[in-house]
Amino acid sequence: MLTFVGLGLYDERSITVEGKEALQTATDIYAEFYTSKLIGTTIQKLEYYHDIDIEVLDRAAVEQTPDELLAAAEDGDVAFVTAGDTMVSTTHVDLRLRAEERGIHTRVIHGTTAQTAASSLTGLQNYRFGKATTLPFGDAHGSDGVPDSVVETITANRERGLHTLIYLDIKVDDPHWEGEQEFMTADHAAGLLADHLDALGVVVARAGSANPVVEADSLDALADGDYGGPLHLLVVPADLHEMERDALTTLADAPLAG
Amino acid sequence: MGRRKKIVQECETLMNTPEQIRNIAIAAHVDHGKTTLTDNLLAGAGMISDDTAGEQLAMDTEEDEQERGITIDAANVSMTHEYEDTNHLINLIDTPGHVDFGGDVTRAMRAVDGALVVVDAVEGAMPQTETVLRQALREGVKPTLFINKVDRLISELQEGPEEMQKRLMSVIADVNELIRGMTEEMDDIDEDWTVSVEEGTVGFGSALYKWGVSMPSMQRTGMDFGDIMDLERSDKRQELHERTPLADVVLDMVCEHFPNPIDAQPRRIPRIWRGDDESEVAESMQFVDEDGEVVLMVTDIGVDPHAGEIAAGRVFSGTLEKGQELYVSGTAGKNRVQSVGIYMGGEREEVEEVPAGNIAAVTGLKDAIAGSTVSSVEMTPFESIDHISEPVITKSIEAKNMDDLPKLIETLRQVSKEDPTIQIEINEDTGEHLISGQGELHLEVQTQRIERNQGIPVNTGEPIVVYREAPQQPSREVEGISPNRHNRFYISVEPLEQDIVDAIKLGDASMDMPELERREALQEAGMEKDTSQNVEHIHGTNVFIDDTKGIQHLNETMELLIEGLEEALNDGPLAAEPVQGSLIRLHDARLHEDAIHRGPAQVIPAMREAVHNSLIDAEIRLLEPIQNVRIDVPNAHMGAASGEIQGRRGRVDDMYQEGDLMVVEGVAPVDEMIGFSSDIRSATEGRASWNTENAGFQVMADNLQPDKIDEIRTRKGMKLELPETIDYF
Repeated sequence: MLTFVGLGLYDERSITVEGKEALQTATDIYAEFYTSKLIGTTIQKLEYYHDIDIEVLDRAAVEQTPDELLAAAEDGDVAFVTAGDTMVSTTHVDLRLRAEERGIHTRVIHGTTAQTAASSLTGLQNYRFGKATTLPFGDAHGSDGVPDSVVETITANRERGLHTLIYLDIKVDDPHWEGEQEFMTADHAAGLLADHLDALGVVVARAGSANPVVEADSLDALADGDYGGPLHLLVVPADLHEMERDALTTLADAPLAG
Repeated sequence: MGRRKKIVQECETLMNTPEQIRNIAIAAHVDHGKTTLTDNLLAGAGMISDDTAGEQLAMDTEEDEQERGITIDAANVSMTHEYEDTNHLINLIDTPGHVDFGGDVTRAMRAVDGALVVVDAVEGAMPQTETVLRQALREGVKPTLFINKVDRLISELQEGPEEMQKRLMSVIADVNELIRGMTEEMDDIDEDWTVSVEEGTVGFGSALYKWGVSMPSMQRTGMDFGDIMDLERSDKRQELHERTPLADVVLDMVCEHFPNPIDAQPRRIPRIWRGDDESEVAESMQFVDEDGEVVLMVTDIGVDPHAGEIAAGRVFSGTLEKGQELYVSGTAGKNRVQSVGIYMGGEREEVEEVPAGNIAAVTGLKDAIAGSTVSSVEMTPFESIDHISEPVITKSIEAKNMDDLPKLIETLRQVSKEDPTIQIEINEDTGEHLISGQGELHLEVQTQRIERNQGIPVNTGEPIVVYREAPQQPSREVEGISPNRHNRFYISVEPLEQDIVDAIKLGDASMDMPELERREALQEAGMEKDTSQNVEHIHGTNVFIDDTKGIQHLNETMELLIEGLEEALNDGPLAAEPVQGSLIRLHDARLHEDAIHRGPAQVIPAMREAVHNSLIDAEIRLLEPIQNVRIDVPNAHMGAASGEIQGRRGRVDDMYQEGDLMVVEGVAPVDEMIGFSSDIRSATEGRASWNTENAGFQVMADNLQPDKIDEIRTRKGMKLELPETIDYF
């Protein structure tokens, strides 16, 4: 059996109780941290806290040569864990399909994820979110600057009255990456987008931790801020409902005229 | 006024009088004394001290030339000489004698109107004498003969007058036989170009001891051969030099017998320039019109530590001046002339202007390479790019000291500009760069130059023959899947038509030109209209076509696709050799919604794999470089000579008589030609002279492919087993 377990947002305690139990009964536990990371903990702490051994796989081992993992899942009870939810903003449905093709039973144990934190921390209604997008580092994507598709996604959402959740690039285990910065910060992202958009933005930093930061301002102003350590994400809201306006003013210090 | 400054002023005056200009080259077999002779002429003209002539080797400006005692690059000097009360400006281009530098010789010959052929009296006419003579005549350059090292006949071999006369006459007869054989079928040369003592087109002497003699000089000085032998025997060489100086003998001969530009250009332009001879620029070149359009043929690029790159060449028409905006053949846009000058010994003297008929030194032509045609109107170049051969031999070169790395890279770039037959490939990651050229010695010389001139100690690898890979038939549509399997690309490959390959090679179609022009050029070469409209990229002689329509986000991904494509083409699937002549079509693509999941780590490998798989499906094969071989050999050795070609997987295409020699023409693989030089010498008792020129790439026979592929993969440290889909060997 192959169980996909989401570790949640922040540290070793962000996992669900069901997930924790699944780790305890697993014969082998594999993890990948190239799509995201648990910022509030380390692999050692994770292993110590749950009293388990974790084998961390790189991108090639998950995408190109998952044979070891799948073979183990044919015989035993394998858990495959990632930060957040294993199936949200990742491409791991591929791994699940490969397992099913081999006749391996699979299941998913959900984790808390940035997708939901974006609305739960900001007060922006989850019903009103449009297509999400990722903002890559400027020189990492083959083209310079912000990809047109990112701006197009935000603009199209706003035209339809929808908020946009923007994941920020992280560079882990990427042989093509030569930059110094590993995690894109929200101020960096706001600066990139401010060249293309004149809009309100909401920063969410360290969601899932005891002290998350939520701050709303114009993208221009956000670009000059400092929101502390990773991970960050950014929301560009559409026109606000009154309740959303109140929430952003109260919870995110939005400079919005009442 | 200093002597030197006075000469510069004299030159500037004479530059405007084409009747008093002679543009000449000295051509000789290695070691027959060309450079020493040049120094004599310079000393005679007051350019260098009389005492050092013979030792200074002023034209061997590169340190390695002086050390090796051979001349490698063509260098240029100008000097003045008074003959029959008229001052003359003599522009001299030095030419290399070694066969590996043949491109330089041809180019130098194209820039001059007369060639002084130097032959060692002891050795007589040698194979290289024949080669350079042939190169001169082919370019319509008139020969005269100087027989050097006559002092050795007198003092060393102790020959008597009769013996000596017999020997000298036989040298002259040999040279004349060559000239006669080569000019017989040249319609544009109606006068007799053979040389003779009576006519004054033959000189004798000793460049080492700086004396010379000819029929006219005997009449002038009253010194005959008997007097000369007496003085030489009694070791009174200084007196001999003073009474009958070599420079006067040779420079008189130059002024009297070589044509001036006004005489030479009407005859030579149709021979050396392939453009429309009815055109205005053709006329202006034929008439040496200093008011016509500017036409400069660059023979050489040198580097001055202060002025930067200097392009030297012959002005065939117009007047070169500072500030002119000129076209450079093979490149887009114009270059601005920063200064113009002439050469004096190894140095350059800036002057106001250089009119038609002269040899000029120009700065500011940043796009020019040796062989470029630089002109004020767009015109047919003297030398088209297809004459610049693709390199066939490569070796690795790396700096011994890591600190020298940036300097080495800069030097390598410079080298490739000075010598367009050199190509370089910079690998900043490993620090191991590749330098490719026309032959083994060619590379060796360039490497040593880097070590000595730039003071960069380098390590070099063994020379390696360069191969290519090319598809042989159209492939089916192949799917390339990204590692996360969310991105898919559907492509196919087919061989690109030869006409289109040629158009790309000649620069008639490139990504640098406006899209519409490129489209038309490709259609003209035979590409279908629809295909030509979808050209997304050209890499080497490979064309990438995007046949997809309206796929969202594909434009953002295109650069990554091209990156993957280039990686795949640079290192082909058989042996990681460059792929050539393929047309790659993108038919369809499926992309992940989010940019992050269709990034470099996904798209590049997907594309690389798809291109390789489609090339494999297109029956890709290894191609090897081949050379045209021409051997001139006496009849008795013809069998042995043709056997040397046939024994090397070669093919003899033609055998015919030319003069008293048989000519064997054929082709053979470069790989097999290694060691040819010594083999042909022993097979023909040294009687053969030979030439090779690169003739492109040819598919290797199937039975030879697996071993060669194995050999290359082993050398490159690749795993030996080929992809399973390669099942056709």
